[in-house]
Amino acid sequence: MYTYATGISLVDDAKGGIPPGSNILILAPSMSSGEQLGYALSRPRQGEYALILTTVKRSVDLLDYFASEQFDRKFIGIIDSVTRLSTPDINDNTQIKFVSSPSDLTGIGIKFSSMIESIFNGEFASADDALFPPPIRFYIDSLTTLLMYRKLEVLYQFLHVITAKLKKMEAIGIYILNNESFDEKTLSLMKQLMNVVIEVKTEQHGDFLRIRGVIGLSQEWVPFRIHQGNLELMA
Amino acid sequence: MIRTGITGIDEMLGSGIPRGTRVVFSLEPGVEGRLFTYRTLATVLREKKKVLIVSPHSTMRAFCSEFSGLLNMQIPVRDGGAVILDSTMRETINSREKKVNFRKNAWKNLIQDTIKKYSIDVLFVYFDLLYEDLGLERALDVLPATVGEKKITTVVEHLNLEGDSLIARFASENMFDLIISVHSAFTLVPFFNFFTLEYVSWSRMPRRSIPYSITNHNICLYIPKIIITGPASSGKSTFVSNASDRGISVDRGDLDGYRTTVAMDLGWLHFHGFDITIFGTPGQPRFDPILPQLVRNAMGIILILDATRPDTLMRARELLMLSHANKLPLVVTVNKSDLPHQMDEVMIRQGLKLRDDVPVFFISSLKRSDVHFVVESMIDRITRHPY
Repeated sequence: MYTYATGISLVDDAKGGIPPGSNILILAPSMSSGEQLGYALSRPRQGEYALILTTVKRSVDLLDYFASEQFDRKFIGIIDSVTRLSTPDINDNTQIKFVSSPSDLTGIGIKFSSMIESIFNGEFASADDALFPPPIRFYIDSLTTLLMYRKLEVLYQFLHVITAKLKKMEAIGIYILNNESFDEKTLSLMKQLMNVVIEVKTEQHGDFLRIRGVIGLSQEWVPFRIHQGNLELMA
Repeated sequence: MIRTGITGIDEMLGSGIPRGTRVVFSLEPGVEGRLFTYRTLATVLREKKKVLIVSPHSTMRAFCSEFSGLLNMQIPVRDGGAVILDSTMRETINSREKKVNFRKNAWKNLIQDTIKKYSIDVLFVYFDLLYEDLGLERALDVLPATVGEKKITTVVEHLNLEGDSLIARFASENMFDLIISVHSAFTLVPFFNFFTLEYVSWSRMPRRSIPYSITNHNICLYIPKIIITGPASSGKSTFVSNASDRGISVDRGDLDGYRTTVAMDLGWLHFHGFDITIFGTPGQPRFDPILPQLVRNAMGIILILDATRPDTLMRARELLMLSHANKLPLVVTVNKSDLPHQMDEVMIRQGLKLRDDVPVFFISSLKRSDVHFVVESMIDRITRHPY
C-alpha cells in the first residue's frame, strides 16, 4: 500500500507516513506558521500531485510562493476562489481553475472533479515513475474562510462528500482551521471528518506542533520551523 | 414554453417546459452539472425571452464572464434582456435585515418588483445560499409562480448536499414541476455522469436515468454499450451495420464459404439525441469465453433470432445466460421475418423463458426502419431501467 510521507520525522519514521484516504486537520492560530505547515504537508513528492483550494491567496501569489520554496509547480493544480472577485474575466487553464467566490461550493466541487480528471487523464506533467492511481494531496487553505461564507452544517456536508471521494481515489486531504476563531462545537464537528489533527501554537521561541490521531506517537509539543517549504522538527 | 436546449431532454419532455412551472436541476457535489442551467439560459436568451438571474454566490461580472467563457455567448445585461441580482444584493439584504422573515420579504419584494419592472419571462435562481439564509420553505416562497397576470417560469439550480431524501421531499411536497437530479459515479478512475428525470408534474413519465458526457461545453446524452447477440447467422452484423452511422465488422470466411464474425462488430450512431455505441458479439460457440467480457458494463442487450431457424432457440437461450441478460434491459428481435417461417411469439417466449415485459419484435435487419424501431425501443427501456 502506498503511504504519503509527511516530512514529520516522528510520523514517517514510526509509520512510514500517512495511509491513503487520511484527512489531516491543522488547528493553528493566526500569525502562526500553520498555513506554511499545510503547504509543506501538501508538497508533492516524487510521482505525486498536489491540488490546492485557496480561499486566501490569489493563485498568482501562490505560484510565486511555490517558486520561492522550490516546489515543482508542474505537479500542482490550484482551485482559486479569490482572483475572480477582483478579476472576473480571468480564464481557467489546465493547472489553475477559478471559481467566483469561496461561497460557490458548486463551482468548487466541479473544478475539483475537473482537476482530478485532468490528473488521471495525464494532462498534467507526468513523472517518469508515474504511479496508478496517481497519489494526490488535496489541501484546503482554509476552512476558516469557507466557514465565514457558508454555515457549519453545509460545509460539514460538503466536506463529507469530498473526504469520501478522496478515500475512493486513495488521496489524502489536508485542511487548516484557525482554532481561535471558532467555538468548540465547530472544532469538534470538523474533527469528526479527520484521522489526524496537528495542533500548532506560537510561543516566544517559535512555533510548536502536537500530533493527535497517530497511534503510538508521543503527544508532546515539538518545536518546528518551515525551511524552503519543508518541515523541520527542532527537537 | 421554454426548452432546455439539450437534445434528448427536450425530446423526452415533448414540447418543452410549460409556462408558469418550476424546474430544479439538483446537482450532486462535484458533478459538472452547471451546464444544464447554462444551456437552458442560453436557449431562453436566444428566443429573446427576458430573464432575471438571481446569483447570490457571485458578482454579476463573474457570472457573466463564466457564462460567456463556457458558451461563447454574452448575457444581454446592457440592453435589458437580462437582469442579474448578484452577491452584492445578498450582502445588502443580509446586512440590512437581521431577521429571517424580513430577509425573505426583502427578497420576495425585490424579485417581484424586478419581474414587473422588466417584464421578465423566466427566472433563473442559484438556490443554495437562499436556502441557507432563509430555509427551504421561505426560499421557495420568494419565487413567484405569477406576477400580476403573468405566469413566470422558474429554473432553479441547487447543490444537493442532502441526497435522495431532499429529492423525495421536492417531489412529494410538489415543490417543483420538473425535477432533474444530476449525478456522477466517482470511482477510482473518474467519471461517469448521469442525470435522472425524477418527476414531471405535467406528464405521466417514468423515472429514468441517462448518462451524459460533456463535449465542447455541450451536454451529450450517451449510451456507452448496447450488446447485439444471437446465434450464428441470425443477422447480427447486418443489424449492427444498418443501425450505425459508421462502424466496423471483424469478419472472416468460414470453411463453408460464409462470412462469420470472429471478434465483434462495432457501430456508432447518433439517434434521438443520444450518442450510442453498439457491440455485436460473435455467435459461434467457440467465442463464448469472450462474451462475459464483451457484455461487461453494457446498458442493454438486443437478442437477434433467425425466424426460419427454430432449432437455434436453445443456443439463443445459452447466449442469454452467458450475457446475464436477466439483469439488463432486453429486447428480442426476430430477424428474417419477411421469409417463410414457423416461429411465433409464444414459441419464442416459451423457448427463451422470457419475462412478460421483454418485447419481441419481428423484423428484417435489411430494413433500416425496422432496425431503428428496435433501437428506439432499446433506448426507451434503458432510460427506464433503474441501474
